[in-house]
Amino acid sequence: MISLGRKKSVLAAVAVTSFALVASAVPANAVDGVSATEIKLGITVPQTGPAATGYNKVAPAMKAYFDYINASGGVYGRKIKLVIKDDGYKTQSAIDATNDLLLQDKVFALVGQLGTANHIAVASKVQLAKRGVPSLFLNTGFSEFADKSKYPTSFMHFPSYATEAKVLSTYIKDNFAGKKACLLAQADDFGDDAARGFATAGITFGETVRYVSGSQSSAAAAGWVQKFAGAKCEVVVTFSVTTATTVLLGAAAALKFAPQWILGSVGADPTTIRIASGNPQAAALLSNAISASWLPDAADTSDRFVKFFREVNAKYNNNVDFDANVMVGMNAGMLTVQALRAAGSNPTRQSLINAIETKGRTFVSAAFAPYGVSDSTHAGYTGFWIGKFNASGALSPVDTGRTIYVTDSAAGPVNKVAPKRAKLPAKGIPTNS
Amino acid sequence: MKTNNLQKRILAVSAIFVLSTTALIAAPSVATAAPVCSEKINLNLTPYQLYRECVGVTSDGAQYVVQLPLEQAFNGTLFLYTHGYRYPVDIPTLDYKVGKTPEPAPGRTVAEITEVATGILSKGHAVAGSGFTRKGWNADDALKTNVELIEMLRKEFPEIKKVIAWGSSLGAYITQGLSERNTKLISAAGLLCPAAGSVEAELKMAGDALWGIKAFLDPTIQGGNYKSVLQVYSDMGKISDALTTMLANITANAPFPAWPATSAAPAALKAAVPSRSAVVMIAAMSGVPTQSKSFDGTSGPGDVLTSFQFASGISPALGALQNLADAATLGVLATYDLERDSGGPVFDNTATDYAAQLGDTKREYASALSGSDATNAMLAYLAAYPRMKGDATAIAKMRTLLSHEGDFKVPTISLAATADNVTPAGNQQWLIDAAAAKKSKNLLALWQRTPSSYTKFSGATPVTPAGINGTGHCNTTVDQHLAIADLLAASSSGKSVNTKTVRKVIRAAGGITYDPTFTAPLLKFYQK
Repeated sequence: MISLGRKKSVLAAVAVTSFALVASAVPANAVDGVSATEIKLGITVPQTGPAATGYNKVAPAMKAYFDYINASGGVYGRKIKLVIKDDGYKTQSAIDATNDLLLQDKVFALVGQLGTANHIAVASKVQLAKRGVPSLFLNTGFSEFADKSKYPTSFMHFPSYATEAKVLSTYIKDNFAGKKACLLAQADDFGDDAARGFATAGITFGETVRYVSGSQSSAAAAGWVQKFAGAKCEVVVTFSVTTATTVLLGAAAALKFAPQWILGSVGADPTTIRIASGNPQAAALLSNAISASWLPDAADTSDRFVKFFREVNAKYNNNVDFDANVMVGMNAGMLTVQALRAAGSNPTRQSLINAIETKGRTFVSAAFAPYGVSDSTHAGYTGFWIGKFNASGALSPVDTGRTIYVTDSAAGPVNKVAPKRAKLPAKGIPTNS
Repeated sequence: MKTNNLQKRILAVSAIFVLSTTALIAAPSVATAAPVCSEKINLNLTPYQLYRECVGVTSDGAQYVVQLPLEQAFNGTLFLYTHGYRYPVDIPTLDYKVGKTPEPAPGRTVAEITEVATGILSKGHAVAGSGFTRKGWNADDALKTNVELIEMLRKEFPEIKKVIAWGSSLGAYITQGLSERNTKLISAAGLLCPAAGSVEAELKMAGDALWGIKAFLDPTIQGGNYKSVLQVYSDMGKISDALTTMLANITANAPFPAWPATSAAPAALKAAVPSRSAVVMIAAMSGVPTQSKSFDGTSGPGDVLTSFQFASGISPALGALQNLADAATLGVLATYDLERDSGGPVFDNTATDYAAQLGDTKREYASALSGSDATNAMLAYLAAYPRMKGDATAIAKMRTLLSHEGDFKVPTISLAATADNVTPAGNQQWLIDAAAAKKSKNLLALWQRTPSSYTKFSGATPVTPAGINGTGHCNTTVDQHLAIADLLAASSSGKSVNTKTVRKVIRAAGGITYDPTFTAPLLKFYQK
């Protein structure tokens, strides 16, 4: 039998079922990261560690563009505040830093997250979709991030690695038919995604060397070169990070191995190669190498977007050495401002997602290929132009018309089209809605 | 890298379960009609605290203890504590003997249990707990014991007006069961480092880990279908040997450590894949965290590159190794225990697709798993490796054991660590998801998050101090326990607790975060 005292507890237990254990002091309609005067965004990037070289420029460049916009009144009167966290390019740190952005800094959305493994880890462990947190304009080309059913709140910025592989395959078929082509690829989703693209395009390699991320070194690179040389490779394609490209080109030069290099865009930034090698002249290693790019070359000051971003860089970014990473950061910033504008004057996380899905294709940017997002895919840009490096590391189109190779990440055809880009908004300030 | 300290820690497997409480309470050894009471004085408080301590035995022979403030100081609220999993058999190598001593409060040591109990008594509440007759996975029996104990205590001490049930690990599982099935007996529930859902979900993590160790490191490990306790001891020894060997091998050559001589993995696999990646695979596929008491997955010694390589490639292996020691030990003992009760093997992975179960984790751990080629090679090996077959009748019987509906009919406060290696954070996430599905607002879920970095080095040697918040099993401080007790007392009143109050209480305790949007991955059993 239960004692008399139990009756009171019975009543208490019944009573509490009708209301919340915790009474929140926060209004039900409050949106994290959005106040009357500010929109707070967050990014985790490698600001320290071996991957910081180059990548550490992305977030400050994005912030510089936001600062420029803020100086012009912000977005619907709200200033954009970008909270930057260092993840050292380590997945556990990316998870921790993202949780801090959401739990402590209370950001409205993530923007420009960098690294395939890191974003997979963040999406899975921080559960972005379940929490409805938008992750805008990912700085990775892993094609699965376009899968809306799997990553409903994430949006790509880069074209996919599979897209790039299909584009390069077309170029190889057109220009190096009959040559023995070989591949250096990172043995993870970066290299695997590219491999799918090459396979789809029907390219087979005479020799494939795969390295585990973090294992790249001069000694390892000498081994790679010996394999390529031993296989008599005439064309060597790389899907490697910049540090791997750097040691590969250095080892090849030392061993006097000189194939036609075709460098994937991720690992072919001349400024980063100079820094990574510690050799100011290292960009010369790129001379005559072919690469693909979706943005204009950072050295091309005749390009109106490059010119504008360089001005922002000079005034708001301490005039750092302007390169592809700065371009990427500012381009993501420009897309973000348009997304926030399209989400309306009282944005919610869901309205931001809806805005990108429905209006993202119309966003102005420096890219030459169309932005692929829609309400059925969260793909990034859909194409590349092909260029050749000179001895100073500048990348110029291989053809006078700068042909754009447009395709998808799957089995779609590769179409060659003329470049078509929306005009830079007046003063570089978007006015869309 | 010197690893003596780490080796000691790993060899001292599951010290958390070995907690001896024989010094706590001396209870009568036979059933008595009424509890035997005496007045006690606590000299550790100023002013001195007087309380009554009563001991007795429930009808099943389980000893219990209740401590009550003297009449004028008692506010009528009793905290009934249920301790976690205790090994069901003596383990000579760990100097562990099955005990029945009651525990009236949570704590990592006997001193902490006393301190938590004292802290609760000082607030005018009473504390009580049973020693339970049956050890091991005792959820069904312990639930009955607790129901009887509550009714008995209310009868013997009419001044008890309200009962708050709380428990740790398996004790939390029992507490949630009590809350769902005997709502009228309690006014609030506290779930500390909870196990939740079903015993099968808990067993799966341990079973997968055990089988992975067998497959990669030592095929002579039985991994289940135990016929005697000697086979259990034998498996524990072999697992300890395998993990210790792995630790030594990583110490000797971290980038490409040798495989144990006992491993039956094909030579080609051993040549292509560093054995540390197999350890990470075991943890990742079973859902054992790779952040451990000593290894954070973010820190490394030496220059920038060395540090990065350690943090991304080596630390997860060492963390997994440390965590697996606990998970595998629990796996062996829980499997043995459940097999005894159910009448046959209860772990069955004949239909498990480990590649699917690993899922995107293989991408997260790309470096630690040595890339996709190595990962695919390991998965191919696992796909072909002989599986553990369970007995259908025994499994069916196991499934009749106490499980949860995910109902929260009384205010419930749950506290879990994000890198708990025995009851991972996915347990608490299951509770959160269940509450959300039923639109219940009666669950307050709190988290102990790990610091962003905590592995410390002396040169290249890890020297992380013990007790890192968010790691280990039920690694909760006295202040944190008392904060939960305060919140339980407040919530049991039938009035909502303001978020400001919640934040104020947990801030004072330190190491606890409250954010309703924090989300952790579910246990593999529940992942689709």
